[in-house]
Amino acid sequence: MNPTEIDPSLTSGVIPSQTHTSDGTAEHSHDEAGNSMFGFIIFLLSESVIFLSFFAGYIVYKTTTADWLPAGVTGLEIKEPAINTVVLVSSSFVIYIAERYLHVNNLWGFRAFWLLTMAMGSYFLYGQAVEWSSLPFGFTDGVFGGTFYLLTGFHGLHVLTGVLLQLIMLGRSFIPGNYDNGEFGVAATSLFWHFVDVIWIILFVLIYIWQ
Amino acid sequence: MNIRRILTLVVVAIALAGISLWMGQQAYSWFPPQASAESLLVDDLFSFLVTLGTFIFLGVVGTLTYSVLFQQAGKYDISDGPAIEGNITLEIVWTAIPLALVIWIAAYSYQVYDQMSILGPMEHVHLEMATAEAAPIEPSTDSQMPDSNEPIERIEVLSRQWAWEFRYPEQSISSTELHLPNNHRIKLTLKSEDVIHGFYIPAFRVKQDIIPNQAIEFEFTPIREGNYRLRDSQYSGTYFAAMQADVVVQSPESYQQWLAQAAVQPPKAAYNQAFEEYRRASETAINAGWKTVVPAAPPMVNYSGSNQQNKGL
Amino acid sequence: MTNLSSVDAIASLGKQPSPGTPEDWKRFFSFSTDHKVIGIQYIVTSFFFFLIGGIFAMIVRGELITPEADLVDRTVYNAMFTLHGTVMLFLWTFPVLAGLANYLVPLMIGARDMAFPRLNALAFWMVPVFGIVLMGSFLAPGGPAQAGWWSYPPVSLQNPTGALISGQFLWLLAVALSGVSSILGAVNIVTTIIRMRSPGMTLFRMPVFVWAVLSAQIIQLFGLPALTAGAIMLLFDLTLGTSFFDPAKGGDPILFQHFFWFYSHPAVYVIILPIFGIFSEIFPVYARKPLFGYKVVAISSLIIVGLSAIVWVHHMFASGTPGWMRMLFMFSTMLISVPTGIKVFAWVATIWGGKLRLTSAMLFGLGGLVMFVFAGITGIMLAAVPVDIHVNNTYFVVGHFHYVIYGATVMGIYAAFYHWFPKMTGRMYNEGLGKLHFALTFIGANLNFFPMHPLGLQGMPRRVASYDPEFAFWNVIASIGAFLLGMSTLPFILNMVGSWVQGEKAPANPWRAIGIEWLVSSPPSHENFEQLPVVIAEPYGYGKSEALISNPDALEVIHEPN
Ligand code: HEA
Ligand code: HEA
Ligand code: CUA
Ligand SMILES: [Cu+2]
Repeated sequence: MNPTEIDPSLTSGVIPSQTHTSDGTAEHSHDEAGNSMFGFIIFLLSESVIFLSFFAGYIVYKTTTADWLPAGVTGLEIKEPAINTVVLVSSSFVIYIAERYLHVNNLWGFRAFWLLTMAMGSYFLYGQAVEWSSLPFGFTDGVFGGTFYLLTGFHGLHVLTGVLLQLIMLGRSFIPGNYDNGEFGVAATSLFWHFVDVIWIILFVLIYIWQ
Repeated sequence: MNIRRILTLVVVAIALAGISLWMGQQAYSWFPPQASAESLLVDDLFSFLVTLGTFIFLGVVGTLTYSVLFQQAGKYDISDGPAIEGNITLEIVWTAIPLALVIWIAAYSYQVYDQMSILGPMEHVHLEMATAEAAPIEPSTDSQMPDSNEPIERIEVLSRQWAWEFRYPEQSISSTELHLPNNHRIKLTLKSEDVIHGFYIPAFRVKQDIIPNQAIEFEFTPIREGNYRLRDSQYSGTYFAAMQADVVVQSPESYQQWLAQAAVQPPKAAYNQAFEEYRRASETAINAGWKTVVPAAPPMVNYSGSNQQNKGL
Repeated sequence: MTNLSSVDAIASLGKQPSPGTPEDWKRFFSFSTDHKVIGIQYIVTSFFFFLIGGIFAMIVRGELITPEADLVDRTVYNAMFTLHGTVMLFLWTFPVLAGLANYLVPLMIGARDMAFPRLNALAFWMVPVFGIVLMGSFLAPGGPAQAGWWSYPPVSLQNPTGALISGQFLWLLAVALSGVSSILGAVNIVTTIIRMRSPGMTLFRMPVFVWAVLSAQIIQLFGLPALTAGAIMLLFDLTLGTSFFDPAKGGDPILFQHFFWFYSHPAVYVIILPIFGIFSEIFPVYARKPLFGYKVVAISSLIIVGLSAIVWVHHMFASGTPGWMRMLFMFSTMLISVPTGIKVFAWVATIWGGKLRLTSAMLFGLGGLVMFVFAGITGIMLAAVPVDIHVNNTYFVVGHFHYVIYGATVMGIYAAFYHWFPKMTGRMYNEGLGKLHFALTFIGANLNFFPMHPLGLQGMPRRVASYDPEFAFWNVIASIGAFLLGMSTLPFILNMVGSWVQGEKAPANPWRAIGIEWLVSSPPSHENFEQLPVVIAEPYGYGKSEALISNPDALEVIHEPN
């Protein structure tokens, strides 16, 4: 994010605005935003293993369970979820545009596209809710019902978290001088959003396409 | 390296090898009696591992002990030791040797496992060619290995919290004691009605978890007459420890006799330790423990063992 | 700038005096963000839980001293070993090692704190919280969890009281919180090691302890999520009636075992790798020789990480595991002995020909190493499928893992406590008590855990409250050893508490050890360094009389009056 510079006393990477912390004992000698981003990325990698585990479980169940679909269920309707998928996946591009606007300091452009991303995310959640309410099976209807709601629900929770994070970032964009210390919050939210998207693509293939 | 050091090393290595071989022979006595064909194979493998393990352990610990005894710094000696940082040859050697050993151990273990061919989960595909598979795959040179022409016993093992029940489908007999003919390949079908249990006869060195909703094929060959213990080996809740049964290996003749006798006995409730303990506990006013899953009723069987009261503890 | 910071440091000294001064004990009970305070908080808290887990073990051994189930009810016994295992792993070993890493890593790599100090405090404070949740399960209807520390379904799904907030429920909650805490800790430690090293501290100048901690925390990052996934599904089965693992409803109980061991096997290397790191730090100091084959020892930790991810099925050899899988995982498991052997031989070569000084730390290090080699060899025996088929779920396994987990791990932790005690507290400990502690521990541990091997070979199952009388002999010896082991903690506690309060003042480097942490005062001041150390050499330069850093005189924030 911020250009880092080596200072003569070899306390490398000091961000000028952060040389003094509240307790003032010594300057913080590291690039905090860079650390946060690094930490966030490994957190996401770790988080993705939860999804991978659920996916692996799903594949095992799907290939070994004798009565996969609960009685009376023939399969999943794919049309509405496909629309949902298109909306969610394109929102990844929209959030990217928003970020570009922020980079050139066009705050209103940023806010507009940011808001559009939030709208698309919310639409996705709405679509998901509609789908859930119309399904003929529930969470406890066999392994199929269980894994279906587990996967879509856990992912939906992530989408919701993403939208909430976006809301916070939107609010913060109105604080004067908010980006003086870099754009870590926005970059992290956007990365999270891409992550949620990629997970959904795998999920969509596993649950809806591979029936 | 001078001659003397090489000689010392050789002498030490020979001494260690001697001790290790002796340990390997001792290993046989640490087991219950060898009552199945499989136990012979397993004990050989274990003896081999003990030999190897003793050598490695003594080698490492002996070196350390020598250092501790003879290489301590004097009280006022604050000098450092030689600044040796590594030795490529040595490092390659002690990477390559364990690698070679590991391949050896794995290959030997594979061979033993293959010869045991105890089957296990998801191997019922072999069911159609059961007779061909019944004997160890390798044409056995071991005289105690039964030949494959012998008939195979098929017995059903039913497990539930916390009782064992054995069914002999051909004679439609049930028993809480597992009777087996000596020197015959035994084929069991393991089933559980509730949780996972474990079928384990230490004297036979065989074990298999029993998974609910699966019928697991399991094979072995008893080779020694006598009474043995069958234990639940997969923790199954409150009375897990009490889930034991007796195994009686007898000559084929007395086995047939036993079958015939059992067939004429009317089914009656067998003694079941878990059930007894639970009943007694619920009769006393104060309960020292927490609420438990209620044990299943004692199995109704034709034969319920000879010495039921002092079975288990 | 330098002057300014010193002035600030003096000012802040009033707020943040060195640990050890009595009036300062309060900050160990506060939401401090200083990695050294957090490190000590972790260590003390987890040691408290070690005692609790140990008391559970005493009850277990008390029951097992006679064949009958007579001391406690069977349900109580089952709760005891379940909680013993759970507490020892999730509330003792993981947090104590997190504490050591917290304290030592920033000092060793020349950083002023962890990358995320507040996250660090948060991760720590979750430990007492889930500890209380777990202990609170004694009040739950039906008592605490009784399904063993694996919590295999269907046993773990059986809920005789029918209550929603059951012991099993609280157990899952505690384990989930522990997982979150560990992940936060892992993110923090990995970021710190990768991004906060001081100038000149290249990867191959990091002490092996740092390498080992890095490797261990990588395992947490990829392993814990799998356990979390399994725990979430188990929780839904337990509370909402889903059917993931319930065979009665078409679920697959074996899948849970895979989830569980995919994490819980690598978890044993989360535990042992930092111990390998401790060995690698301690042997060079007290043998006064460089660590033999430093780079290879460092790299072998990463190889162990890689292998640890592909061996988990060796815990399921006798379970619903087809033959080909048994063979495959047998081989992968055995491979671990190669990188481990490299380390063992390197330590032996380090010690060989050195100038040994048998302090308490060195004794515990050596004792731990001996017991580790024994345990490793029984581990290889377990990896051989035909042998494991016989001894799986018997006391042979319990013997194997207590040799690693008590013999190597706990002894290694004690070694670390002694070695860094002067650094952490600014006081010297009492060597006599330390040696008594070692003697009791070494004898007790072997008396306690060796008999488990013959018992297992004879066929005594684990997790039993009662057993056949033929097993009585070895069980009595094991129980006596266990009580001795329990007693061995007393001289230790006495030594630590007594020395902390009134021990002799420790100099910066009482062991003449090489390492950045030994170049600053004992205990180091808040934020550790005035100027960051500039590293110019590999670690472990014993016998080479070379400088480790170029600015040793510029490190100290303030020179404390002696
Ligand atoms: C810190 C903990 C720790 C460590 C380091 C290890 C290390 C190893 N463990 Fe252990 N293990 C546990 C903790 C640990 N284990 C626990 C807690 C359980 C039981 C859990 C439960 O059921 O509740 C368990 C159970 C367990 C099992 C399952 C048994 C069963 O349930 O039936 C197996 C099977 O393969 C196994 C194998 C090994 C192996 C091969 C190693 C290897 O890493 C050892 C490698 C080391 C050496 C081999 C020694 C040094 C090497 C040399 C000197 C080189 C030369 C050597 C050779 C060529 C052999 N362990
Ligand atoms: C780090 C891990 C760790 C440690 C350190 C220990 C330490 C000990 N363990 Fe361990 N144990 C496990 C991890 C550990 N264990 C695990 C994972 C299991 C498997 C659980 C399962 O099957 O689910 C297990 C299972 C287990 C069993 C098998 C139970 C069974 O299968 O039925 C036994 C039996 O002897 C046992 C004994 C002991 C003993 C005697 C100690 C001793 O080292 C303890 C020493 C004692 C103390 C340190 C206490 C000191 C306290 C006092 C002296 C009290 C002072 C008193 C007051 C102030 C009131 N343990
Ligand atoms: Cu019965 Cu396990
Ligand atoms: Cu393992």
